[in-house]
Order: sequence, then structure tokens, then C-alpha cells
Amino acid sequence: MKRTLAYLSLLFILGVLLYVANPDYGLKFGPGGGEWKALRYTDDYYITHGLEEVGGTNIVTDIVFDYRGYDTIGEATVLFTAIAGAVALLRPWRGDGDEHH
Amino acid sequence: MMALPYLIIIPLFGVFSMPVVSLAGRKAREAWAALISGATLAVGSWVFYWVYRNGTILYTLGAKSPLGQGVDFPIRIVWEVDLFGALMVLMVTLVSFMAVVYSTGYMRHDTGLDKYYTLILILELGMLGIAITGDLFNFYVFLEIMSIASYALVAFRNDTWEGIEAGIKYMFAGSLASSLVLLGITLLYGQYGTLTMGYLAVKLSQNPTVTAKVALALFIAGLLFKSGASPVHMWLADAHPAAPSSISAMHSGLVIKIGGLYALARIAFSIYGASISRETVGWVIIIFACITLIVGNAMAVIQTDMKRLLAYSSVGQVGYILLGLGIGLAAYGSHTGEVALAGAIYHTFNHALMKALLFLIAGAVIHQLGTRNLNELSGLAKTMPKTTFAFLVGAAAIVGMPPLNGFASKWLIYESSALFNPVLGAIAIIGTAFCTAAYVRVLYTFFGRPSEKVLEAKDPEASMLWPMIILAIAIIVMGLFPWQISDRVMLPVARALEDQLAYVATLMGGG
Repeated sequence: MKRTLAYLSLLFILGVLLYVANPDYGLKFGPGGGEWKALRYTDDYYITHGLEEVGGTNIVTDIVFDYRGYDTIGEATVLFTAIAGAVALLRPWRGDGDEHH
Repeated sequence: MMALPYLIIIPLFGVFSMPVVSLAGRKAREAWAALISGATLAVGSWVFYWVYRNGTILYTLGAKSPLGQGVDFPIRIVWEVDLFGALMVLMVTLVSFMAVVYSTGYMRHDTGLDKYYTLILILELGMLGIAITGDLFNFYVFLEIMSIASYALVAFRNDTWEGIEAGIKYMFAGSLASSLVLLGITLLYGQYGTLTMGYLAVKLSQNPTVTAKVALALFIAGLLFKSGASPVHMWLADAHPAAPSSISAMHSGLVIKIGGLYALARIAFSIYGASISRETVGWVIIIFACITLIVGNAMAVIQTDMKRLLAYSSVGQVGYILLGLGIGLAAYGSHTGEVALAGAIYHTFNHALMKALLFLIAGAVIHQLGTRNLNELSGLAKTMPKTTFAFLVGAAAIVGMPPLNGFASKWLIYESSALFNPVLGAIAIIGTAFCTAAYVRVLYTFFGRPSEKVLEAKDPEASMLWPMIILAIAIIVMGLFPWQISDRVMLPVARALEDQLAYVATLMGGG
């Protein structure tokens, strides 16, 4: 019963997402010309102003380290957290150390 | 407002310097963690005071203005701290500081403490990042920082089977919920081309599409998961009991509120406010709130494990907050809606204090007696009087006894729900009846005849006792001025949250 309901809801979500992915009603794929300016105005700004504002010729690093550098600090923190968490969980159990020494 | 960046800089510095400071030994590590979270509390209080006096802060990372040269849309990440965000900042920094101080006594017998203090500071950092951000993708990054730190901390006692089991359960459920949020952000970016919350609100109201509605559904689904609402609360009932008590206090008091309820309120009001039918979304939230209220509180009554009881009670209290939030949306623009929203925000803050206090007490009991089975704890009032008194304060506050802070916040929710729809008022009262039954049962146990196990117990040491006393005093003092706090702080906070136009105008005006 639960499982059937789960599969039915998954099917429903898939249907909704497919509907949204249809360019007639939802997201546009590969927009060009005027659509590009209307939908990707932020990207357009980065490409036209990136070189003079930031100075790097690689637009991706310009965005990742300058315009949105704060997100990159966040990502570095995520990695640090993952390492700290993994090391913390894989440490020897309490009392294990005593048996070996 | 030059102090705002230090809200992130100080914990970030503490986190990345902790492995180095840890080399100097246990004392240095504990002092460093307490110092860092104490300094964050100082900055957090200042930020709250400043926002309360001067209004919303807009801070652009890397430039004077968020807007690009010669264009009228934001290109950089912004922090936008309105009164609602500032109140959350105060709540997070206060309870985190208490939890860190408490840990110095409580975690003494555990190993791997350098990692523990690193992770607890990361948890605080993640929550602060969520509370102050004005950028949707940045919100996701900090949601992940907070979540990953919580997964590791829930399973921190890796030699207990329940810790690992709860950690795995929490991680699977939480990752799925995060991915729903990320999918929603992706859809919005694909449709509207911006990630800044305020500007997204503009774009959304100009052109509401079906994509935006699907994204909103994904956000609601993901964030209800994170806030532990029924029927997706099952991870919470395992995760909160299994975590060390200082961490349960932060989880129950802060994580489910910042990562779930705050984010939900921010997205519903500040981003989607003008472009959706508030009534429909409000009712969706109300329905989940009613289920959560009944299920959480009813399940709390039948628990024999003290921390599990508190965890289910948290689910029940999330129901009240969601109810206030839902009515605030459904009755938007009316006095009832405003009162409901103020009640929800007030209860968020109160519940953070009360539930942190109760979990810290549960930790002290486990620390002293080694059991959290309620049947073995009878007569605790004789041997641990201070702890029992603090529990009495916390339990009375959470039930909503008049001289304590829980009364005013619950009253606002009862009043508005009864005005909005009497059936909802009745459901809220039924939830409270269950909640009262659960806590009276615990108190009855505590004041019973002392069992053998309890006889050698005594109150915990100062570093564990003081955070409990401070939280209890805060609850009592807040209980003395319920309507003043409600009128001077909570209603303005609710108005700030409702006022989407001001939120957008602050961003587009550039500060």
C-alpha cells in the first residue's frame, strides 16, 4: 500500500517535471537572440563586464571567485565539514585504544 | 553596518583555526570554542539591536551596491537582514553559546573532541548564514553546511548503535530534502535568470509561471522535511535522542527552525508573497500543521525514553509554529493573520529557549545517572533539586502556563486560530492537552519516591548547571513581560516579514 502510493507519487512528480521541461509551457532550452537577453541577462552581464571588472579572462573563475566568492567559501566549508565529520565518525571507539596498548 | 560581516568571519575563523588550537590541549580547545561562540553572541546581539533601531541592513559582498554598472538588476551576493532575520540571529547565537559552554562539562568523557568543537561551530555558522542571506543559492550552500554538520554530530558517538542508525536515517532523509530544494532553485534560475531573493520576487510578480509553482511545491516539500513536520518527522524522533544532549538542544531549538521554518517563511513571504494565492499555500501549510500538532504531541505522551519524549514534543511545537505561519499566509493582510504570524515567530523564539533548556536537563540527568528511561528516574527531585526546578520551569513554559513565556506565544496562536477558524483552535487545544499530559507524567515521575538508582545522584557541575540556569532565568524574565515583548518586538517582526515591498525596495534601492 505504502509502496504503491510512493511509486504513484514519484510518477506524478516525474510527470510534473516533464511538463515543466516542455518549452511550450515551461523552461526554454538553448535560448538564442532576444530570448537569451531576456532569460540570461545576468550571464550576459558577467560576459560583457567580467574582464574589465574582475580582470580574469576565464569567466567561470571570475564568477566563482569574485562575483560569487562567498558561495565558494561556503563550498570550501562544506568540504571541510565533510572531512571533519568523516574523520570524527571513523575514529576508534572509546576504550578501543586501551586494549591495544 | 560594519559589524555584520563579523557574524560570519568570527565563526569561520574559529572553525578553521580549531584544528591548530586543538594541538594546545583540551583546556585551550574548550576556551577557544567558548570564546568564539561568545564573541559571535556579542556580534549577534549588536546586529539585532542595530536592526531593531535602524531597520533592515543590506550588505553587498564585494561592492558598494548589489546592482551591476548601468543595469538595474543585482549581480552580486547580498545579505539582507530584516527584523525577522535579526531575531533569528539573536536566537541562534544565544542558544549556541549555551550549548558550547554546556559541552565543556557534558562531553568530557568523549573522544575526538577537536572534531566535535569544529563541527558545533560549523553548525552555528551554517545557521547564521541562512538567517542573514538574501541570495537563494547562497541559502542552499549554508543549508548544506548546517545539514552536513548535523549529520556528523548526530552520529558523533560512533560506538553506540543508535547514534549510527539515527545518523544514517537522518542523512538519507536530509539529503533527499536538500536535493528537492536545489531542484527548486534550479527551476527558478532557469525560468527567471536571477538568484537574488528580492529581485526574484520582482521577476515572479511580473510573470508568474507554472515553473514557479512547481519550484514552490519542491521548496515546501524539502523544507517541511527539514523542519520535522508530520508525516515526514520520522528522522527527527531518532536523531534527537541519539545525538549528544548539547547537540539535541541545538537541533531541536535551532536547526529545525532555521533550516525549515525560517526558510519556509522567507520563501513564502519575501519571494513568493505577491505572485501566488496566499490562501492556497496557507491552507496547505495549515493542513500539515494540524497533522503535526496531533501526531507529535500524542506520540510524546506514550514515550518512556525522556529524550524521545522531548523530540516528539518538538514535532508537536513545530505544529504550532506552522499553524501560525499558515494562518499568517491564509489570512494575509488582516489583523488575525498578523497576530498569527507574530505568535508563530514568538513561539519560535520561546521554543528555542525552552527546548534547549529541556534537552540540556535531559543531558544532565543522563550524565549523572546513565539512564534516560523515565521509569527509572522517579524521585529525582530529592537528589537533583536544581535540575528538577529547571525542568519544572521548562515544562511549565512549554505547556503554556501563564507566568512563563510560552503562555503569550501560544495565546496569540490560539486566539488567531480561533478567530480564523474555530476548528483549528480546537485542534490546537487538543494538541496542548496531549502536551500537558506528557509533561505532567514526567514531573509526576520526578517528584515520586526516590528509586535506588537515583539516590547517589547529585546536581551537575557548574559548566553544565549555568547554561540551564541562564535559560531558565531567560524564560522567567520573558514571561514577566509577555505583551510588551509581543507588541514591541514580535508584531514589528511579523510586519517586517509581511512587507514584501519593503524587502524588495531595500534591495533595489541599493541600501
